[in-house]
Amino acid sequence: MSRITTILLVEDDQLDAMDIKRSLDKLNVLYKLVVAKNGEEAIDMMKGNHEVTLENLPDIILIDINMPRMNGLEFLQVIRDTPEWKKIKCFMITTSDEKVDKEAAKKLGVSGYILKPFKINNTSSLDSFNLVIDLMNMKGYE
Amino acid sequence: MRISYLIFLSFLSILLLFAFTTFINFRLSERVKENTDFVNQSGNIVRSSNRFQRNTINMGSGLRGFLLTGEDSFLQAYDSAATENKLILTDLFNQLDTTSRQYKLLVDIASLNNRWLSEFGQPLRQAKIGAEASDVNLPYFNKLYREKMQSSDERKLNTRLQEEIREFVNIEYEKRSEREKLLNDSLQMTKTISFFMITFSVLMALFIVAFLTIRISKRILKMVRMADSIAAGNYNVSTEETGKDELSGLARSLNYMAKTLSSNINELTKKNRELDQFAHIVSHDMKAPLRGIDNVVSWIEEDHKDELTPKVAEYIRLIKGRVIRGESLIQGLLSYARVGKEEEGEEKIDTKALLKEVLENFSMKEGTTINISEAMPVIYSVKLPLLQVFSNLIDNALKYNDKTNGLVKVYHKEYPGHWEFFVSDNGPGISKNYHEKIFMIFQTLKERDSFESTGVGLAIVKKILDSRGEEIKLESEAGTGSIFSFTWKK
Repeated sequence: MSRITTILLVEDDQLDAMDIKRSLDKLNVLYKLVVAKNGEEAIDMMKGNHEVTLENLPDIILIDINMPRMNGLEFLQVIRDTPEWKKIKCFMITTSDEKVDKEAAKKLGVSGYILKPFKINNTSSLDSFNLVIDLMNMKGYE
Repeated sequence: MRISYLIFLSFLSILLLFAFTTFINFRLSERVKENTDFVNQSGNIVRSSNRFQRNTINMGSGLRGFLLTGEDSFLQAYDSAATENKLILTDLFNQLDTTSRQYKLLVDIASLNNRWLSEFGQPLRQAKIGAEASDVNLPYFNKLYREKMQSSDERKLNTRLQEEIREFVNIEYEKRSEREKLLNDSLQMTKTISFFMITFSVLMALFIVAFLTIRISKRILKMVRMADSIAAGNYNVSTEETGKDELSGLARSLNYMAKTLSSNINELTKKNRELDQFAHIVSHDMKAPLRGIDNVVSWIEEDHKDELTPKVAEYIRLIKGRVIRGESLIQGLLSYARVGKEEEGEEKIDTKALLKEVLENFSMKEGTTINISEAMPVIYSVKLPLLQVFSNLIDNALKYNDKTNGLVKVYHKEYPGHWEFFVSDNGPGISKNYHEKIFMIFQTLKERDSFESTGVGLAIVKKILDSRGEEIKLESEAGTGSIFSFTWKK
C-alpha cells in the first residue's frame, strides 16, 4: 500500500507557485503537489469537477489570500463549512501581513500564517517551521 | 419678533412707567404748592378779618371815649380804625370770588359797618365836635347821644356785625380744613400710586431681565456648547430653533455650518481612507512582481551558477539590488500608509527605557556615542507612535553621520501643556533649502545607489506628529550638525 502526502496549493501567481514547489522539493519528502489558480478551481478539484482530479482529499492545503474570483479567506470558509473537509490542515501563504487578514485566518482555524517569500530553511518563522514538521510527520511511503 | 425690537420695547415700557411715576409726583408737588399758596392767602384773610373785627371794637370804644371825654386821642383811634377798615375791606373783596358765600357775607359786613358809621359813628362824632366847639350845640349833642347810645340799636348792630365777622372767619377755617383734607387725600393717593408704579416697574424690569436671560443667554449658551462640540470634532450636532429672531437665524446658520462641516469631513475621511487603501493595494500588488523577479533571478543563480559569466553575474547582482530597493520603497509606503491606523491605548512610559529599547535595534558604528539625558521623563501616552518617532530620528542621526567620533544626544524640556524632545547630532547638517523637502515621502538628499535610504523615515515622523497635532522643528545648517525637536502633549 502506498501513501503519498497530497498538498493542494491554491495560488494564482505562477512564479510564487514555482518558488513554493522549489522550497518543498528541498525537504526530501515524498509528496504530490496540485496547484489551483483560485478558490473556485480548488473546490472544483476537490469535488472532482475538474480535469485535474485528486485521488484522495489533500493532507495539507496551502492558501494564498489575494486571488481573483474567490480569495483565500473565502475558500477557507468553504472548507470549514463543509463537514468532510473541515478537518484538513490549512496554512496561509501570503504577502499580506495585515492584522485583519491574520485575525480572520486565525478565526477560521489555520495551522499557520506564513509570509511570503516562503523559505523552507527559514526557521525564524515559527509557522513555516510548523509546516515543515507537519510535512515530515506525514512523510509519504510506498 | 426680532430681539432688537423686543429689547427696545422692554426698555421703552420701563421708561414710560418711570415717566408716569415722575409725572404723578410732579402733579403732587404742584398741588402742595397750590395748597401752600392757599394757606398763605387764607392766613392773610383770617388776619385781616381779625384786624377788621378789632378795628370795629376800637371804633366803638374810641367813639365812646371821645363822646364822654372829648379827648382827641380817642378821636384819632376812632378815625384810624375807620380808615384802616376801609382798606381791609377793599383788600378782602379783591381776594374773594364774587360768587362765594364769603363774598356775600363780606357785602353784609361792609353794609353793616357802613350802617354803623352812618347811623351812629359819623353823626355822633360830628355832633360832639360841634358841642366841643360851642356850647350852643351841646343840647343837640345830648339829645342825639341819648337817642342813639341809650337805645339798644347800636349794641344790636354791633353784635350782628361781630357775629357776621366770626361766621366769615369760620368759613375761612372750614375752607382751609377742607383743603387740607383734600391735600392729605391726594398725598396718600400719590404715595400709593408711586409705590405701586415703582413696584410694578421693578417687577417688570426683573421680568424683562429674566426674559432676556432665558430668551437670549440660554440660547447663546446652547450655541456656544454646540460650537465647542464642533471645535472638539463632533460635527453631528444641531440645536433646535424654530423662532424668527436673530438668534434663531444664527442657530440655523450654525446648524447649516455643522451639517456642511460634517459632510465635508465625512467626505474627507472617506477620501483619506480610499487613499490609504489605494497605497495599501498598490504596494501589495507591486510586491508580487518584484518577488517574482527576485525568485527567477535566484533560481538562475542557484541552478546555473557554473554557466554564468562574470558580467552576467554582475548584472544579476544589479537586478537584485534594485529589487531590494523596490521592496524597501514599497515597505516604506506601506508603513507610511499605516501610520495612525493602529489602535492605541495610553500607558505609562518611561521615555528613558523606551529609548534604550529603540537603541537595541541599531548596530552602532565604532566611535559613535549616543548620549541620553539622565532626566528623561516618565509620561502617560501612547507608546508605538512615540517609539517610531524616536526610532526614525535616531536612525537618521546615526545613518547619515559622517564623523569618526559621531555624537547623538537626546534630551527634553518641559512646558505646562507639553513636552519637547530633542535629537541632536554632529553630522553633516542640512542646508536651509531642504528643511521642508526632507519631510516629504521618498525625498532623500543622498544618491540612492550609494545609500540605503528610501526617504520614508522623516515622512513617517511628520505624518505621525501631524496626525496627533504635534509639531516638528529642525535647526540646522550645512556643516553644523542638526537638532530635530518635536512636541508631545502631556
